[in-house]
Amino acid sequence: MNKTKKNKRNRLDRILELPQEVYSNVPKIIITGFDEMIIENFKGILEYEEIFLRVNTHIGIININGYGLNLENMTNDDIKITGKIESFDIERKQD
Amino acid sequence: MFIRIILSYIIGYLKISVEGYYIERFINICKTNNIAIWNLKRSDNTKLIVNLNVRKSDFKELCKIAKKVKCRVKIQKKKGIPFLVHKYKKRKIFFGFLLFIIIFLIISSNFVWNIEIKIEENQEIENIEQSLDEAGLKVAKLKAQIDTKDIINKVRLQRDDIAWMGIQMKGTNAIVKIVKSVQKPEIIDENEYCNIVSDKAGIITKINAQNGTANVKVGDTVNIGEILINGWMEGKYTGLQYVHAKGEIEAKVWHTKNKKILYKTTERRKTGEKEELYAIKFNNFKINFNKGVSKFEIYDTIENENRFKLFSDFYLPISVIKITNEQVEEISKTYNYEEAKQLGIKQLQQELDEEIDNKEKIVNKNINVVEEQDGVMVSVTYEVLESIGTNEKNVF
Repeated sequence: MNKTKKNKRNRLDRILELPQEVYSNVPKIIITGFDEMIIENFKGILEYEEIFLRVNTHIGIININGYGLNLENMTNDDIKITGKIESFDIERKQD
Repeated sequence: MFIRIILSYIIGYLKISVEGYYIERFINICKTNNIAIWNLKRSDNTKLIVNLNVRKSDFKELCKIAKKVKCRVKIQKKKGIPFLVHKYKKRKIFFGFLLFIIIFLIISSNFVWNIEIKIEENQEIENIEQSLDEAGLKVAKLKAQIDTKDIINKVRLQRDDIAWMGIQMKGTNAIVKIVKSVQKPEIIDENEYCNIVSDKAGIITKINAQNGTANVKVGDTVNIGEILINGWMEGKYTGLQYVHAKGEIEAKVWHTKNKKILYKTTERRKTGEKEELYAIKFNNFKINFNKGVSKFEIYDTIENENRFKLFSDFYLPISVIKITNEQVEEISKTYNYEEAKQLGIKQLQQELDEEIDNKEKIVNKNINVVEEQDGVMVSVTYEVLESIGTNEKNVF
C-alpha cells in the first residue's frame, strides 16, 4: 500500500519535472570553486573541527577534509561551509 | 543572507564563545530548537571554542542547551541597535540635543527662509520684492499659509510689467519665476485715420507731407504733443477727406545739460585698507562678533549675507554676514575759474556724446558759462537734426 503510493507520487513528480531535493530527503551538494560548499537537506553535524567535518544526511554521511573550515550559514535544511576544501567523500548508509 | 544580517543587527545579536567537549551536539540541538546561529568558527588556540552569533532573544534558550551538554558560554561582543541604545541611555544631554536638533529641523522646514527671484533673460523688475512682500510672500512665514495662486493673482493685478509668474516651493526655498512683459508700441493700422504729432521740442527744418495736410511751416517752433501733419485732406471737389497721415519731418532738437562746478570740492578715494567683520543672524536677530565701531574714520561698508543650507534647497534661518569696511580718504581740491570751466565743459560734452548716436547730425554746439559766488554754472547745448513725429489716432 505504502509502496504503491510512493510510486504514484514519484511518477507525478517525474511528469511535473520537480527537482528531487524538493520532494524527497535526498541531499544536494553544490560546490562553488574549491572554497565554498552548500549542502541542502542535511540532518545534523556529527563532527566539527577546523580540518575535518562530518555532515549526516538521510542517505549517508559526507566527510569533508580541508583547512579553516567554517560553518558560515546554518538554517534548518541547508548549511554553507567555507574554507579550503581539499577532499570529500561519501559513506553510503547500509539498507 | 545580507538581509538577514541587517535584520539581526536591528534585533541585536551576540558573539559568544562556547567551550566544551560536545560542540557537535550543541550545534545539532540548536538546529532542532530553531535557534539561528551563523559564522561558526573553530578557535585557533584552544580547540573546543566555537564562535557563533546568536539572536538576543534566543540567548536564554541557548544557555539552557549549553548547560545540558556541559558547555561553558562566554559573551564576547554585543552588537545591534538594542545594545547601542542601552549604551547611550545614560547620556541624556546628548540625546536631548539630538532630539532638539531634529525637532528644530522639522519645525524650521515648515517655514520659508529664502525667496529666490528668477527673471527670464536676466532682466530687472523694480520693487518686485516689495510687491511680493505685500502680496504675502515673506521670509519666515509658514509654508502652509502661503497660497501661491493667490499671491500670483495679487501681484499680477498690481503690476502690469509681468507677463507670467510662477511660484515653486522647494524645501524652505521659494523660487519665483517671472517673465517680463515687453511693452509694445501702439501700432496703428494703415487703414485707420491718424495725425502725426511731435514727440520732441524743436525747430522745424524740413517738412514733407506725403499724405495729409501740413500744420506747421519750416522755421516754426514746436512743442511736444503739437500736431505736425493733420490726418485730413481738402480738395476743391472732393471736400474734406480723412486719411492716414504720412510724411517726413526733420527738426533741430536741443539737447541741453547743466552742471555746477564748485571751486572747492572733496574727492573720495579708497586707500585700499580693508577690515572684515563677521556677524551671525537668526532671522531678524543679529549677533555681532566684533565691536560695532570701525577703526576707520571714514569708510564704505559692504555687507555680504550667506544663508546656511542643507542640501540644495533646504535653507535654514541662520545666516553669516560678512561686513567689509573699506577705508576712504577725502581729498579737498580747489579750482580756479578757468579750470572749473574746462572741467565742466569736458564732463558735459562727454555725457552728451554718449546720449547722441549720430555725430554727423550735430549742427551746432553752444556753451554757456555763468560765474557764481562759489562755483561755475556750465550749460552745454547741442543742436541736432532729427526726424520727429509719431502717429496718433484720430479720435472723432
